[in-house]
Amino acid sequence: MPEQQDIILDVRNLQTHFFTEDGVSKAVDGVDFSLNRGETLGLVGESGCGKSITSLSILRLIASPPGKIVGGEILFKGQDLTKKSEADMRAIRGNEISMIFQEPMTSLNPVYSVGEQIAEVLRLHQNMGRKEAWDKAVDMLRLVGIPSPEKRATQEPHELSGGMRQRVMIAMALACRPEILIADEPTTALDVTIQAQILELMKKLQVEMGMSIIMITHDLGVVAETCDRVAVMYAGKVVEYTTAQNLFANPRHPYTVGLMNSLPRLDEDVEELQAIKGNVPSPFSMPVGCRFAPRCPHATELCNTKLPELLEYADGSKVRCWMYTSEWDGDTKTATEVGV
Amino acid sequence: MFVYITRRLLQMIPVLLGVILVVFLIMQMVPGDPAVLLAGEGASEETIAKMRTQLGLDQPIMVQYVQYVANVFQGDLGTSLRSNLPVWDEIMARLPATIELAVASIFVTVVLGMIAGIISATKQYSAADITIMVIALLGVSLPSFWLGLSLIYTFSVKLQLFPVAGWGTWKHMILPAITLGTAGAAIVARMTRSSMLDVVRQDYIRTAKAKGLRETVIIYKHALKNALIPIITVVGLQFGFLLGGTVLVESVFAINGLGRLIVDAIRMRDLPVVQGGVLIASIIFVFVNLLVDVLYRYFNKRIDLN
Amino acid sequence: MKVEIAPTNQALPPKAAAARPSKWRTFYRKLRKNKLAMVGGCIVIFYIAIALLAPFIAPYDPYEIDLVNKLKPPSAEHWMGTDDKGRDVLSRLLYGTQLSMSVGFVAVFIGAFFGIILGLLSGYYGGWVDTVISRIIDVLLAFPGILLSLAIVSALGPSLFNVMIAVGIFSIPVFARIVRGSTLTVKKLEYIDAIRSLGANDFIIIFRHIFPNILSPIIVQATMRLATAILSAAGLSFLGLGAQPPLPEWGAMLSNGRDFLFTAPHLAMFPGFAIATLVLGFNIFGDGLRDALDPRMKQ
Repeated sequence: MPEQQDIILDVRNLQTHFFTEDGVSKAVDGVDFSLNRGETLGLVGESGCGKSITSLSILRLIASPPGKIVGGEILFKGQDLTKKSEADMRAIRGNEISMIFQEPMTSLNPVYSVGEQIAEVLRLHQNMGRKEAWDKAVDMLRLVGIPSPEKRATQEPHELSGGMRQRVMIAMALACRPEILIADEPTTALDVTIQAQILELMKKLQVEMGMSIIMITHDLGVVAETCDRVAVMYAGKVVEYTTAQNLFANPRHPYTVGLMNSLPRLDEDVEELQAIKGNVPSPFSMPVGCRFAPRCPHATELCNTKLPELLEYADGSKVRCWMYTSEWDGDTKTATEVGV
Repeated sequence: MFVYITRRLLQMIPVLLGVILVVFLIMQMVPGDPAVLLAGEGASEETIAKMRTQLGLDQPIMVQYVQYVANVFQGDLGTSLRSNLPVWDEIMARLPATIELAVASIFVTVVLGMIAGIISATKQYSAADITIMVIALLGVSLPSFWLGLSLIYTFSVKLQLFPVAGWGTWKHMILPAITLGTAGAAIVARMTRSSMLDVVRQDYIRTAKAKGLRETVIIYKHALKNALIPIITVVGLQFGFLLGGTVLVESVFAINGLGRLIVDAIRMRDLPVVQGGVLIASIIFVFVNLLVDVLYRYFNKRIDLN
Repeated sequence: MKVEIAPTNQALPPKAAAARPSKWRTFYRKLRKNKLAMVGGCIVIFYIAIALLAPFIAPYDPYEIDLVNKLKPPSAEHWMGTDDKGRDVLSRLLYGTQLSMSVGFVAVFIGAFFGIILGLLSGYYGGWVDTVISRIIDVLLAFPGILLSLAIVSALGPSLFNVMIAVGIFSIPVFARIVRGSTLTVKKLEYIDAIRSLGANDFIIIFRHIFPNILSPIIVQATMRLATAILSAAGLSFLGLGAQPPLPEWGAMLSNGRDFLFTAPHLAMFPGFAIATLVLGFNIFGDGLRDALDPRMKQ
């Protein structure tokens, strides 16, 4: 694991719950991970696992009511973001921590030119004048690879393609040279060829600007291409937390294994995808034991009754699964098969 | 855009012809012989016959209509039976007061309605929101003539803040404009609220928050301009009701505008003035609708693709 | 062909029959939950009851002139005072409820009847029928507010009956446009094609199959329109173009009371209050109906 001083963001036991008429939805229920300077961390999981809520919690963008961060700490450069005032948070958003979203088609305001939308951030956080901010906005459009940026800056979002719009979103997010970029499914809504270009662009800009990225995705292909480390989330909790290399070489948690199996591979002649059986549990009524137990092929009595801890193993990987503990009451062969 | 406006202008022609036709037909429903009416009580057979030829009433009805349309397009709306002045001149003398009243009222409708709607939307389900929405429900239901009388009673008679009636200074304008603008303001407030609530759920508002913008900038810069689109249509529709409402409000406040001219003309059975007045008011409304459509399209073109 | 389609024919009615009660039940449950709508409904029922019971509950004869006791403020004998001819304002208001209600219902009936027919024809047949009817709707909607009613009344002569007709005509385009839109949607449904292939004629398709499916927006519109109709009719009477003296029509009473605004303000206040509450009742009940019947139908 990296040295302490390299950590720029440390999320500890984050809990974000939603208080609705139907009860309390524990969308994020004890999430831990840390992000180092200059690295890319993947937050992986199916939709509804709490990965987007986690990222919105970091920027404190959870609509309240009904949402609320009820526990945990989010340490950004040693300071707890959950305790910051709204004014302090505004100074951080778009400036030190930026975010881009899944839907480039709807994430830009349709009634303002893209240049104005980028310049707005610069005027806000960098105290630039109109002219200066506009020129910088054009520079940013050039930086993200938009041809004839002077002309494009004056156009409105509906005049640009999806890929172009996501480039604009990136330009907007990076205009103030943030230390962390949170990318929530940035390529999901795009064509495959455009996806690759956008990921390439993000990697290039990450090196140039030396920023850290939190890459939220359900696509293990994106993880393989961009991430240094990965936190796999399931039903509001991190179930496996390891390097990307380890994850692919040696997936431990049965859920991770399931995800891997449902990943189509070009080099293998697989007739059908081995999807994970069953459904994600309702956030209103989580299982008592391991949250994956109802869908897990290896689940035992222990799994169904007691929630496992996220424990660290020799190679630095962390896994939340009974199979790798001494208390495991099931067939040890299964565990060995899976790779301990 | 130019092509669109041209096309809309061309589409207006049949509507205008239709409006003229309806007004023309309504006047055909008047019981009795218009020639007798125009010639006056106790006119001789000869005078009536002369009048009939002069008015073209001996022609087939289609010919009469075509003649009427031709006259209208030349600004000839006939002669007032009461004053013997051209109807066109009578209307033009009264129109400024009505337009002033309409503009002042639409100002009340838009400003009051939008402010109330924004407060309601930003403080959804708060006491302020509920109060505003209850007042808005009342506002749509109040008869304008009653509201006008109540305002006169309270502010002119009791508090003596404003003149009881008449037109001319800004002080004369306030009560009539509130009277006429209230129902529209109530509708605009409800529309603004639902439109704003719809907009603040959009992805680009989340983007604006992620940029670190403050709440007021997000609401007034990013949300409001998008929320305006459906509001524009409602305001356009309100303008029609407002124009019709001038009839009542001008009567309550004794304002010498087009509406009062029409009502007085109905009482005096001065049909050419009624015909001309209704026609001019409708033509104004048709043009306002065109303006609203153009504005709507201007704001909406960005949304179309999404 | 017939043999193949017969089973479909048998399958259709029970399905439709099963769907209907549950649809109305959910509607009723939603309406019951909407407190505001229930308040509106109560106001409307209250006024309907007054209209029906006016002869039994009115303390005085609404036409009885008593010049000795004219322009009296509200008192124990005359709860809402007396007017310039000494008539009891409360009794006149109670009887006036009958007039306002009938004007509203008759006008909306006229508007709905012709509007629905025009809308159905226009939406169902399309083509030139649609073009002609749509143009007529456009033209009628080009008249601002109550000016069309005003012009009609000016031609027919002032009377409450003519006001009903005028306000009715003023409502036709509103119904026609909504019915046309709904018909276009329903017409595209698959089962309409199925029925047509069974040999149903246009009349049966339009009135047995399309009309019941577009009832919700019509009911909502009719409720809201009642409010507008009552308000417009009162306005025309206020201008002296509707109910003629001595009829206790609310708008006419208000117009009369206006001459005594300085000396006896109650004459104008009570009829205005009656109009406002009845219109409010129809408005919020209509709002509630709309939310319960079809939340997407927001204007």
